[in-house]
Amino acid sequence: MKPSPHIDFDRNAREALGNEFLQRALRSAMVRFRELQAPVIAEIPEWQALRAYAHEVKLHTLGRLDRYLQQLEQEVSARGGRVHWARDGGEAATIIARLARGRYVVKSKSMTSEEIHLNEALERAGCEVTEGDLGEYLIQLAGEAPSHIIAPVVHRSKESIAELLSAAAGTPLPAEPEVLTAAARRLLRQRFLRADVGITGVNFAVAETGTIVVVENEGNIRLTTSLPRIHIALMGIEKVIPRVADLAVFLTLLPRAATGQRMSSYVSFITGPRRPGEADGPEEFHLVIMDNGRARIQADAEMRESLACIRCGACLDVCPVFERTGGHAYESEYSGPIGAVITPLYRGLRAAGDLPFASSLCGACGEVCPVKIDLPRLLLELRARVVRERGASWSERIFVRAWTWVMTRPARLGFAARAARMLQRLVRRRLLPLPYPFSRWTVSRDLPVPPARAFRDGWSK
Amino acid sequence: MSAREEILRALRAASYEAPLPNVIASNVLASGAKRSAGDRVERFIERAQAVGVEVIHAERPALVGLIAHHATSVGVRSAVIWEDELLVPVAAALQAAAISVTDRPEQADAGITTADFAIAETGTLVLTTSRGRPRAASLVPPRHIAVVSQDRIVGTLFDLFPRFGSLPSALTFITGPSRTADIELTPVRGVHGPVAVTVFITE
Amino acid sequence: MTVLRRLGVSVDVPIAQTCCGQVAFNDGFWDEARPLARRHLDIFEHADAVVAPSGSCAAMVREFYPMLLRDEPALMERAQAVGHRTYELSQFLVDVLGADDAGARFPHRVAYHPACHGLRALGLREQPLRLLGKVRDLEVRRLGGAEECCGFGGMFAVKFESLSSAMLDSKIRAIEGSGADYVTATDASCLMHIGGGLSRRASPIRPIHLAEILAAQ
Repeated sequence: MKPSPHIDFDRNAREALGNEFLQRALRSAMVRFRELQAPVIAEIPEWQALRAYAHEVKLHTLGRLDRYLQQLEQEVSARGGRVHWARDGGEAATIIARLARGRYVVKSKSMTSEEIHLNEALERAGCEVTEGDLGEYLIQLAGEAPSHIIAPVVHRSKESIAELLSAAAGTPLPAEPEVLTAAARRLLRQRFLRADVGITGVNFAVAETGTIVVVENEGNIRLTTSLPRIHIALMGIEKVIPRVADLAVFLTLLPRAATGQRMSSYVSFITGPRRPGEADGPEEFHLVIMDNGRARIQADAEMRESLACIRCGACLDVCPVFERTGGHAYESEYSGPIGAVITPLYRGLRAAGDLPFASSLCGACGEVCPVKIDLPRLLLELRARVVRERGASWSERIFVRAWTWVMTRPARLGFAARAARMLQRLVRRRLLPLPYPFSRWTVSRDLPVPPARAFRDGWSK
Repeated sequence: MSAREEILRALRAASYEAPLPNVIASNVLASGAKRSAGDRVERFIERAQAVGVEVIHAERPALVGLIAHHATSVGVRSAVIWEDELLVPVAAALQAAAISVTDRPEQADAGITTADFAIAETGTLVLTTSRGRPRAASLVPPRHIAVVSQDRIVGTLFDLFPRFGSLPSALTFITGPSRTADIELTPVRGVHGPVAVTVFITE
Repeated sequence: MTVLRRLGVSVDVPIAQTCCGQVAFNDGFWDEARPLARRHLDIFEHADAVVAPSGSCAAMVREFYPMLLRDEPALMERAQAVGHRTYELSQFLVDVLGADDAGARFPHRVAYHPACHGLRALGLREQPLRLLGKVRDLEVRRLGGAEECCGFGGMFAVKFESLSSAMLDSKIRAIEGSGADYVTATDASCLMHIGGGLSRRASPIRPIHLAEILAAQ
């Protein structure tokens, strides 16, 4: 894979803050998600116990992924499916492109396929690929990247969507969601009926039965797994869970945390290809199990709980930073708090080391995560790694070192406080420029006026 | 070394033991506390209606007539029907009402199926696929009409999974019509799957 | 201090104390934060209870010292012991002393901003409001989006100045909409941030620490 360029989150955030439509759209989307989620979460009195259970199941499974993945492979094979293993995104894309070569492909929304830029690989292999999820289809028409895990096109207005769909349909369409959705249904239905290959992601893979579970609202995943002759499912190694019974918990948590629904419109449990005598369903079922950096995270005791993520997007919806930047500022398929944790793990601290700092550590993400990932802790761990391995800017190093130097001796603190009071008076009379970090503080805030006499001076007398 | 071996070796090297919690039994959950069969039916109706499903009560003798009447009244001209004991007389009744029965879901106005189970707490229909019960029937036509027996309505997800021995090639949860809110978060029905779902509850 | 003494608690303010190390810790400078944590433990270990007029400092000792000191088992044990008896002021008054009336009078309209660390790391939800409810002549004004962060976040406020300011803007609009004369919180740092923003806008609304209200008579 090509080395990732540095992600300048501060620059991206400034750009997003300057985009008024984006600010309004994000705010109303996040508020709406939160309003939908709160009541259906509150009606489950055992919510906290279910979070703890889900967390434990995930951490247990991560400990023995080798065993569970082999069990999964065995069960999928026993039901006539084929299992493929891929070390990285390139291998996964190659395997899928080989299976699909030259054929017509419909693909369902899958974060994992975004992660490995699957569409580009398929097009190089001579496939025509259509995204089936409405939001992803619009993103594909626009040549963009999704900006939210479950609301990929939240950054676009209905007017701009009308333009995209009018061009695709070859006829002008009004900027009305109902009409636009109906037009997309007609455009896409033809493609589903024609497709030879359907590609989906995987929400959960059950080791004991060899079942993959996919969750959606639109029905595109059902079409993708019912009509084409070949179904290829792509999963990261962390998606496996031990038992069917565990799904009762995960499927109680996921829709409520993601979209605020008691249950998503459709949940498909696929166990192998169609069986003898069945009228539809794929003749071939392929499961691609991909590592792409996950085993490295699994071996990292401090960071491994990030692999428990079930991609619900709840941490994005409560994040005051995400609410103001949107997903594109993260320059990664994974945005928001979970993106700020896993993007640096996948792409390296040099490229993505700014992201863990782009948080006020307000803790809202950790509080809502349905699988109880301690996101603030993971952000803190990564910050320490960034400082240790990449280093901080010289001005920041000087500030923090000076701070800790002063704070290790009360006499120094007393002196520094008096010095600060004096310096501040000079600054106020504009006799001195403000040093970092106060220079940036005062862009939009005043500095506090120091007391004439310090508390510690009064107390010690 | 193959990718498989390499991945498994890395995972084995970093493996550790952490406890697997015992499966949560339904009666542990207050929200799934044992409800009477009647309560479950009522809860199912309320929750299914909340997601836009039309629910119709049908005594067994009236069921076939009610389905045919419903199909006619919403303008169904052709339907695809699952092969199911319960639905055998439906095909005849539809044909009597000048509704053709087809095995091409993409040409049908409605798909008529049974549901193996329903989940009260979430208003969910649970369908399994097998010979004569194609997946497309509940998916491809713009309308889905489903019949579920009262005694098949379970309380919560926690009550459902213990009812399955082995899983079919496709098990599907259907909770309301197909929906999207991708365009400025405006909810719209029927983006890929059915625009309308009607459930007949029978004893 | 005034408040604690009024309630009959014997209070010592060790003059040797400086900073718990949170500034450095949160910014990833763990090696720099550790000596401060050690100092903090040395100084406060003898107390029956450690009360901090700051939710984030209390959270640092209670929740994050064990993380910072995990490679030093001896220190870690001491940190856990001190952590268990470290409290934010309102938490100490209400949960430990069982006193929700500090005997204060403050004849003003006040909006309460639940600072994030207190709210989420310490679970302070009711305590500050119960204390404010018992202050004579004080009117608590409802703050919209109260649980949304003010945007301070230590070095975040300077590293991502534009984001921090945008968050502060929302907070200040909510404070202005509350009709309060004062905005209070359990954290001096959030108040410094909010106060800096109010002052820049030349707003008549003043920031005030919860302890100052409880001490007022």
